[in-house]
Amino acid sequence: MAEAPAIQTFRLSKTYGGGVRALVDLDLQVERGEVFGYLGPNGAGKSTTIRLFLDLIHPTSGSARILGLDTRADGVEARKRIGYLPGDLRLPDRLTAAEYLASLARLRGDVDTALGHSLCERLDLVLDRPLRHLSKGNRQKVGLVQAFMHRPELVVLDEPTAGLDPLLQTEIRALMRETAEDGRTVFLSSHSLDEVQHTADRVGIIRMGRLVDVDSVEGLRTRSLRRVRVSFAEPVAAEELARIEGIRVQKVEDSVVRLSAPETAMDALVKTVARHPVVDLVSEPADLEEIFLELYRETADAG
Amino acid sequence: MPVELTFRGIRDSRRALIGWCLGVAAYVAVLAAIFPSIKDMPNFDELIESYPDVLKSFFGISGGASISTGAGFLDIELFSFMLPLFVLVLAIGAGARTFAGEEDAGRLELVLAYPLRRRDAVLAKAAVVGLEVLVLCAAIGLTLVVFDPIVGLELSYGRLVAALAGLAVLGLLHGWLALGVGAAVPSRALAIGVPAGLAAAGYLVNGLHELAGWLDPFRFLSSFWLVGASPLQNGIDAVGALLVLAAGAVALLAGSVLVERRDLQTP
Repeated sequence: MAEAPAIQTFRLSKTYGGGVRALVDLDLQVERGEVFGYLGPNGAGKSTTIRLFLDLIHPTSGSARILGLDTRADGVEARKRIGYLPGDLRLPDRLTAAEYLASLARLRGDVDTALGHSLCERLDLVLDRPLRHLSKGNRQKVGLVQAFMHRPELVVLDEPTAGLDPLLQTEIRALMRETAEDGRTVFLSSHSLDEVQHTADRVGIIRMGRLVDVDSVEGLRTRSLRRVRVSFAEPVAAEELARIEGIRVQKVEDSVVRLSAPETAMDALVKTVARHPVVDLVSEPADLEEIFLELYRETADAG
Repeated sequence: MPVELTFRGIRDSRRALIGWCLGVAAYVAVLAAIFPSIKDMPNFDELIESYPDVLKSFFGISGGASISTGAGFLDIELFSFMLPLFVLVLAIGAGARTFAGEEDAGRLELVLAYPLRRRDAVLAKAAVVGLEVLVLCAAIGLTLVVFDPIVGLELSYGRLVAALAGLAVLGLLHGWLALGVGAAVPSRALAIGVPAGLAAAGYLVNGLHELAGWLDPFRFLSSFWLVGASPLQNGIDAVGALLVLAAGAVALLAGSVLVERRDLQTP
């Protein structure tokens, strides 16, 4: 039998008390050996999804399998094989990092401490001071070490680099890449496109509890969206351009029009533009941030 | 392994518990130290005998109790109110803090993301609550044993152990109830309020049921009534004490079952 995917969800849904639909019919599959970026703004349902994976909250309907194990029925077995860094990491005050990590290793049981030690060294973690005296970065390192120290088959990181210095961000990216190269899986939640595009193989975009799109980072980037600047010889009515399917006029300044256009609209765009005297036309691939915003708009329009 | 939560819990509450024990021991010591002067006041018993029944009943001064004996003195001054209060405050605080409090602070998130069952986490924490109660009761007992020969309390050690056991089961019931409620529902307020309310109601019913007839049928619901008053003079009701202990265990088990069904809250 083929190895089960790292993560599989089946119409996974979560509605909180008060009718807040935090996650709606999520169908997602994450393969082993990839870094999967889970991208969305704050409050989109990223943490809800992750907490469902860990059985910290229970689905209202649907189900999820982690490494082939049902999160409800085989939660303990699944959690054995997961490393988790919470988005809002709360640590005990008085223990030192060394004491806390040792305690967590005993709580998990059967942990080879050598990997933990080498991680602490690599991240240059302050081990001998009470956790409450540690900086945000050092506290986050504690969270990272405990998420990786038992060589989990799936690492789930909720906003791991938020508020950290670039050096540490780079180290965390390296950790994630190594994990994937090792054939293991990383599920990386983030609201930062930049973070995800540097690390992830594929990206799922979530908005208001719904998965909007799943694509490779490369696919997202090349998927047609262009940033176009047309300089006309004289001012023109931009409405004419805005009427073309898929085109979004961003700015009109005298005779210069800036717009975004999917590749599929380029032909119509050029033909329309050609009816007027043109001074210049620049078309370049949009960066991910724009693609991202565009995707959000699409679903907002559809909804 | 869940037992690590017990070790960590002991470690976390170590300092506060030592403080509690020292404080309560000091209170017990001061009271024991004034016993010789009370003993030599011949009219004290008559004074107490002249109290209105409602007061005597309420403060657990049963018929035939004498404040001029060590056992009678300690029953009235310590075991009728102050010691149960100390033990219950410790127990309810410990029970509410260890689950509801930790959840409130967001520190259960990582613990329950580890490969352990929630009910095992609850039971591991219940062991800490139980241990705290037992240590405080032992500290009380130790203080009395030390002062017994010094101030001439002339205690029966069998009765003393029984009295401490009575305190302990009261502590276990309310502490485990606090833990169980906090596990069943994500509310620190309820985790404190439910056992505190039960204790207050139980204490009132026990103190007043003889005077207010309509309360009488409810006396079986009072843990204080079940354990029995004036333990150093009369011993405790063993069956009642076991019932109280069983009720604590039921509250704990109910909490450990219900905790599996609910969502863990984020702060």
